[in-house]
Amino acid sequence: MVQSKKQKYTFLAFCLVPTFIMFAIFTLYPLFSGLYYSFFDWSGSSSNREFIGFANYIKLFKDTIIPDTIIHDYFLVVTKIIGIMVLAMFFAVALTQLKIKEAPFYRIVFFFPNIMSVVVIGILWTFIYNPSLGLVNSGLEFLGLEEWVKPWLGDEKWALPSIILPAVWAGIGLFMLMLMGGIANISKSYYEAARIDGASEWQQFWKITLPLVWPQVKVSILYIVITTLNGSFILVQVMTGGGPNNSTHVMGSYLYQQAFKQYNFGYGATIGVMILVLSLITVLFFQFLMRREKVEY
Amino acid sequence: MRRSVGEIMGRTGIRIPLILWTIAVLYPIFWMFLGSFKSNAEIYRNPWGWPETFNFANFTQAWSNYNIDTSVFNSLIVTLLGAILTLVLATPTAYAIERINFRGSKVLFTVFISAMMIPMVLGWIPLFFLLDDLNLLDNIFGLVIVYAVSQLPFSIFVLTSFMSTIPKSLEESAAIDGLSPYGILFKIVTPLSMSGIITVTIMNCIQFWNEYFMALIFLQTKTNYTLALAIDYISNEAQYTNAWGTLFASLVIAIVPVIFLYGIFQRRIAKGMTEGAIKG
Repeated sequence: MVQSKKQKYTFLAFCLVPTFIMFAIFTLYPLFSGLYYSFFDWSGSSSNREFIGFANYIKLFKDTIIPDTIIHDYFLVVTKIIGIMVLAMFFAVALTQLKIKEAPFYRIVFFFPNIMSVVVIGILWTFIYNPSLGLVNSGLEFLGLEEWVKPWLGDEKWALPSIILPAVWAGIGLFMLMLMGGIANISKSYYEAARIDGASEWQQFWKITLPLVWPQVKVSILYIVITTLNGSFILVQVMTGGGPNNSTHVMGSYLYQQAFKQYNFGYGATIGVMILVLSLITVLFFQFLMRREKVEY
Repeated sequence: MRRSVGEIMGRTGIRIPLILWTIAVLYPIFWMFLGSFKSNAEIYRNPWGWPETFNFANFTQAWSNYNIDTSVFNSLIVTLLGAILTLVLATPTAYAIERINFRGSKVLFTVFISAMMIPMVLGWIPLFFLLDDLNLLDNIFGLVIVYAVSQLPFSIFVLTSFMSTIPKSLEESAAIDGLSPYGILFKIVTPLSMSGIITVTIMNCIQFWNEYFMALIFLQTKTNYTLALAIDYISNEAQYTNAWGTLFASLVIAIVPVIFLYGIFQRRIAKGMTEGAIKG
């Protein structure tokens, strides 16, 4: 292209600099100063910000609620991975492999909850779990299972498991589509060859479909891990606010409570650092766990 | 091909879980719509059935008594301005990264993309004080900026992948005809990437319209509430006032625009989201 070096660099600066400055101010700077604030005792006003070294981290290790929030987060990660992947895989195979005429209808319906607001999902499901009016308890009474009726979200033992259902409900569609994309790329000739060799549909699934969609499975699982550790607290906040008696607090909702409700901003930042470190470790761990030679036939 | 009885049974059997899940997805949504037309007394009497009469009292109640009108207006402003600002910031950067050779372009792209994997919750504490210093706390325009920047990584990622499909020869011949790089960006590349720009904008609009947590942290005054916050407020009130009908009406107001966009752009939305997730 006919242009001088100076022209090229002015144009580059025009394209990149304003965007990068905004990104630096509103994304990079907050992340790094979050790390920095974790070494301070700070209740909000700049006058009483006091450097306390690792005291917040020591407090973190002694805080008896922290292990619970971590366990709750990983409970959600594991149950969501299992629930979403099993159902999404089943639906993806059903909608691509078996010739179902109305498959596009199911695809459109199943995906819709993925673009609903977490507030709408959370409130809708809070009402579904409502002790006196909710669908769950009415259904149990209808089936004659009165002894199972309970205030789901108000019950310390059942509140956290109750949050899985809306999380799976809202998540399936996206992962079903990702898996369907993978399955669509598998050449039909593999299945024909397998059928000639007399392989059952189950064998075809384990020997052909699963190995060949493994890259999509891997991406899906990593995505569930990241979005759960970085975002499960939003659903928790809407549905239970961490209660009853901290039984549903996850790391993010506990951070919100410490920083923005009790004004322990320094300690909140320390919890944030913990979330960052744990999610990086978890992502690396899952990447290591799921490494597998790329399968090609 | 010979079809056994078992196989035909299997084909019908496979539909049962599909139909059950369809009901599981659609029934709560339908029921939310039905509930929005019921009086509170009727919701108690008959929470899951068809309404006796369709009355709009809940909607007028939500609209006037709970300030949903102000919140809808705030949400519209945040959504539209946020989507525009994201485009203004993301399009030139995406073009420069994808088409102009410069040292560090790969690094810059990686920096933007890796922000998609970082838990932003850590950054929200300093961001709170930064907005306070800039007089942008409890201000919907502050929220516009925060939203726009938060969607930059996703938008840059999708736009670069769209721009990579535009043939380079078009830009080259435009440059030979004497068009400046700015002219190429705005008159050639932008119109040609319109499909990507539309996808990104719809995704961002839905994201901003639905967003809850950042609004919860960065807005405080009721008159500044976005729709998500107003609904959350009504929901907390409903624990004591039992104004469930009003709550359902406000949920319906929040979800109708999303259903509308999904109805029109279903394929784009699904494709945009899966692409974003694959890199995320």
